[in-house]
Amino acid sequence: MSFRKIRVASFRNLQDAEIPTDSEQVFLIGENGQGKTNFLEALYYLCYGASFRGQMDSLIPAQGSDRFMLQASWSNGVAGAPLDDEIAVSMKGRVKDITLNGKSLRDRKELVAHNPAVVFCHEDFSFAAGDPERRRFFFDQCAGMLSLGYIDTLRNYKHVLKQRNAALKESAYDLIDVLDPQFVRYGIMLMEERKQLLHKFKAVFAESYEHVAMLGVPVTIEYAPSWPEQVSLDSLFDYLRRRRSEEVVLGTTRSGPHRDKWLFRCNGENFTDKASTGQLRLISLVLRIIEVRLYEERERISGEGPRWPVLLLDDVLLELDLGRRRRLLELLPAKGQGAQSFFTFLPEEPWQDYVDRSTLVYKVNDGRFED
Amino acid sequence: MKALEDLVALLTRLPGVGRKSALRMAYYLLKADPRYAESLAGHIAVLQQQIKFCSICGSYTETDPCDVCGNPQRNRNLVCVVEQPQDVITIEASKEFQGLYHVLGGLLSPLDGIGPDRLRIVSLLQRIRQSRLTGAVIEEVVIATNPTVEGDTTALYLKKVLEPEGIRVTRLATGIPVGGDLEYADRLTLARSFRGRQPL
Ligand SMILES: [Zn+2]
Repeated sequence: MSFRKIRVASFRNLQDAEIPTDSEQVFLIGENGQGKTNFLEALYYLCYGASFRGQMDSLIPAQGSDRFMLQASWSNGVAGAPLDDEIAVSMKGRVKDITLNGKSLRDRKELVAHNPAVVFCHEDFSFAAGDPERRRFFFDQCAGMLSLGYIDTLRNYKHVLKQRNAALKESAYDLIDVLDPQFVRYGIMLMEERKQLLHKFKAVFAESYEHVAMLGVPVTIEYAPSWPEQVSLDSLFDYLRRRRSEEVVLGTTRSGPHRDKWLFRCNGENFTDKASTGQLRLISLVLRIIEVRLYEERERISGEGPRWPVLLLDDVLLELDLGRRRRLLELLPAKGQGAQSFFTFLPEEPWQDYVDRSTLVYKVNDGRFED
Repeated sequence: MKALEDLVALLTRLPGVGRKSALRMAYYLLKADPRYAESLAGHIAVLQQQIKFCSICGSYTETDPCDVCGNPQRNRNLVCVVEQPQDVITIEASKEFQGLYHVLGGLLSPLDGIGPDRLRIVSLLQRIRQSRLTGAVIEEVVIATNPTVEGDTTALYLKKVLEPEGIRVTRLATGIPVGGDLEYADRLTLARSFRGRQPL
């Protein structure tokens, strides 16, 4: 699927404009702070109804405004689909309105199912180098894009967890008793789905990483759940009961999928302890690429494909040497497959090397887009 | 115009009413037939005096006990437990349930500090025990809380306290549709739900 054109109004520093984007490859060239990332953020917002920057929505409207508006038409990539879809996201004060073909959407989940994007940005570095929570965030986001049911299970799990923590703080044993069956049910569902996701990543990660990094030894992904694996329901209840008094003292739940770990290993050791910054950065990039490919695979298997998410690549090639750049680009969907990618570049980067006849190139200057 | 401003301020407290709609309502009332305004004011004034909670089941009623609790034709072996008084009105509108009701007045939620003592659970146990002294023993309790985390928690808690009493505890597969105005599809869903209720 791809965006044909985007209209922005009062969105950060971007000048109000309608910007044609009907190409598989769109390049945004400009110095830092001119609006390239803001434009990617606008695209992401149109896909998810939220920002990837994790800031408050109220900070988005341009200076002096209390609202912003984004509109786009996109072709959903399904062959023979008669019409482009129209999506609009607006925020006025604190009220957000998301419409798809003129109809208001009640849940952002609907949008995610319809129109996914995958963003490659600097913050992704923390998937490789950061704390376990950031890694869980990536794999959760990935699983959520592959299955709406996962988003639902995760929401329920987090909600039960909050209730359980509140009950622990109150030493309300009778309520913990009736929360635990749900805690365990949603928790096991998450573990099962994460195991399946591990399988999918394992099948391609080591090879893809080696293709770009050329380390000579395989780097593998492992999933280390907090709960003991392959246990019966009853023994899991026992496990929780044995830890309960400790948890009541601490007032918080000490085990469960919210403490699961994802690990990268090489030569039997924890790779992230030894790896260089460049090698870590490559991990986050390869993870994103696999996310993109898994989505395409899911769509193809379910008979929808070929359908790719929109790719938003923010300055990611900047810190790679030429060889790694080339090999990384080889892992992205090839031209002509219907995948749309937006790249940002600094003016001094050799972006011309990647341009072909169909590439749309915009110079971004002070929020303005020029051909 | 303080009178107008005060009214608008009061109207905006109603659910789903913003300042714009409140202003429209206020202007409408200003122009309307005075008898309409008086009648509306009168009905609002006596609403809380006339509509009470049934002392047995806890649903809204003008007489105590309510029409359901007072009706000898209802199936007295079967009690449907719901979260809110308005759920009783919804289920009654479907005409799919012939038993009695018991309103909890909320759902268990440690996050909001709502424990079992804040709900009408003790009164449910009392009703069950008292029913054994009559010829109409309560045998089954159908829990009709919505399938949310709080609804499930409450259902599991009720099962825990009711089963030692020898009560069969069942659960509706789906929740109760919102609003008393039931469409055909909602009625059908409720009908199926009551028929296909499962042991918890
Ligand atoms: Zn009653």
